Amino acid sequence: MMNEWIPLMVVIPMLCAVIVSAFNKWSKPIKILVVIVAICIPIIPLIAQYGIHYFGGYAPMIDTVTGILYHPSITYIFNILQKIFIFVLGIVTFLVVFIYVNKYKKASGQYLFLIFMGTSSATALLLTDDIFNMFVFFEILALVQVGIVAASRLEGNFEMALRYLILGAIGSPIMLLGIGFLLATTGSVNITDIVSAIQNATISVKSPIFLMSCGLIFFGWLYASGLPPFHTIKSGIYSKAEPHAAALLQCFTVISMISILLIMYRIFHVVEFFELLVVIFSAIAMILGITLALTQTDFRRMIGFLAVGELGFIGLGIGLYTQFAITAGLFQALNEMIITALLFLGFGAIVYTTGETDTRKLGGLLQYHPKVGLMILLGGLAMAGVPPLNGFRSKLMLIQASLSCGYPELSLLAIIVSIATFVVFVKMFYTIFLRPKPKELEISKNDLPRSMIFAMGILLIMIVVIGICPNIVTYGISQYVGGILL
Amino acid sequence: MAYTQLAVLLTSGLLVIIGLFAAIFIDNIIKKVIGISFIEEGVNLFIIAIGYKTGGVVPILIPGMDKSWFATNAAYPLPFGLVLSSIVIGASSLAVMFAIVMVLYKKYGTLKTSVMLADHSHGSVNDE
Repeated sequence: MMNEWIPLMVVIPMLCAVIVSAFNKWSKPIKILVVIVAICIPIIPLIAQYGIHYFGGYAPMIDTVTGILYHPSITYIFNILQKIFIFVLGIVTFLVVFIYVNKYKKASGQYLFLIFMGTSSATALLLTDDIFNMFVFFEILALVQVGIVAASRLEGNFEMALRYLILGAIGSPIMLLGIGFLLATTGSVNITDIVSAIQNATISVKSPIFLMSCGLIFFGWLYASGLPPFHTIKSGIYSKAEPHAAALLQCFTVISMISILLIMYRIFHVVEFFELLVVIFSAIAMILGITLALTQTDFRRMIGFLAVGELGFIGLGIGLYTQFAITAGLFQALNEMIITALLFLGFGAIVYTTGETDTRKLGGLLQYHPKVGLMILLGGLAMAGVPPLNGFRSKLMLIQASLSCGYPELSLLAIIVSIATFVVFVKMFYTIFLRPKPKELEISKNDLPRSMIFAMGILLIMIVVIGICPNIVTYGISQYVGGILL
Repeated sequence: MAYTQLAVLLTSGLLVIIGLFAAIFIDNIIKKVIGISFIEEGVNLFIIAIGYKTGGVVPILIPGMDKSWFATNAAYPLPFGLVLSSIVIGASSLAVMFAIVMVLYKKYGTLKTSVMLADHSHGSVNDE
């Protein structure tokens, strides 16, 4: 059944992006508009019914010659998984916009354009059932991320943006080449059509072209996800973005990762080594992420590398390819979005009061900002997987999943990385908040913006609620995963 | 496979290889960007070649044309549509890239990536 609400989830933020960019001069009306739209973004997926949308109204047709059902138009599918992730993305977008409009007197239409365009693209990535459409929004999202980094006023932001753009400009055509190979073998870019062509054995899954397509799209996915060899650049762009923007950037990364991976799974799970590849790269990401986080003294880089390590957990779960494991991986993805957003905002508060990011020059902040300290502490504990917070639930599920799949070594790796995350975090917390304040450290006497505290509070509530009642999301995710595995 | 299609596929492969070489090994940022452009165009050419049909006609249905004849003889239109989107995206990426290159050129006064993109951060203990 056609559902007209589905394209609105993409169109509304996109339209808002265009309007705020075009009417940049009118700061006050723009601020009002963006707040209204930002409130609407998480509400729409909650009230929309599940369904399918065919653009242009072209429903699937039966080919009169072959008798095969095919989709002539771009198709968007909205299900429980999309509902959950678009809702959380909407919440983070709202909080980021809320912080931005409170922080700056004059709103920049171009900057808000990037935020809304990114949200729109990430939503489209979750909804689309068309592999070329996926590529288009993946490219837009990459450009948005570059724009957000370039728009920050931090030292070295342009260098990092150019680095990311050059790598992207190599990674994206390689992914497009893979899509081209897939088009050459199947004659379609609709994922459902490609999957049915594979199931009907009209194409050979062992043909070199199909395997090459798998490899090329996989490479593009590594770039989009920030998994090795792109882990350094991914953590770099987090550190060169404004903290509230970094919170949103990591949401974009997580959504790119899971949406492209789920699409790849639908098409390439028939390739024997595919699952193994996903698990190997995820395990490497976990090891490299935590190892590099341990060597950092800049806390933004540290959080960036921890975030990359957490991406490895997501890949690990989805890579094991059982209903329970994929559910655990997707649950971890959701938790990662919330926890890392909280941490980026928290450390943004530290930058706001001290102007410093080097942990060696910080100290004694707990007595100045106890609320922020407490919220960061809880966020860090959630990331390390301490009960009863949400990170504990998903990591426990991941460990159980790898044990039940017969990979105790992966469970061991997950436990070791979690402990190491805990160590990194405790060390960081001690140096920033607990040890005596260095004499040369100047702390701003201005109070922290209430919007920042409010945003962190909302994210913390989500962490605690999901930690106490994980079923509110895991049940739906599990149902969705069961559906795609059929 | 027709010779024309084969020639186009080989050209596209060559463009991608030359582009990759330039993007990875050449130090000058402008040449690097041109290399990246080569990769994009190579991939676009490859996708166009997929839609090629020997003796085919342009996939535009003109009034009065026999539909079954058209269905048999028209080239596959989907790749052409995809390439249009791809060209637009590629052009946007290039525009952003050149804009950032201009900013960095003003800052460093050179086009060498080894200077522009050298690690200027001091966040790691290894830097001490």
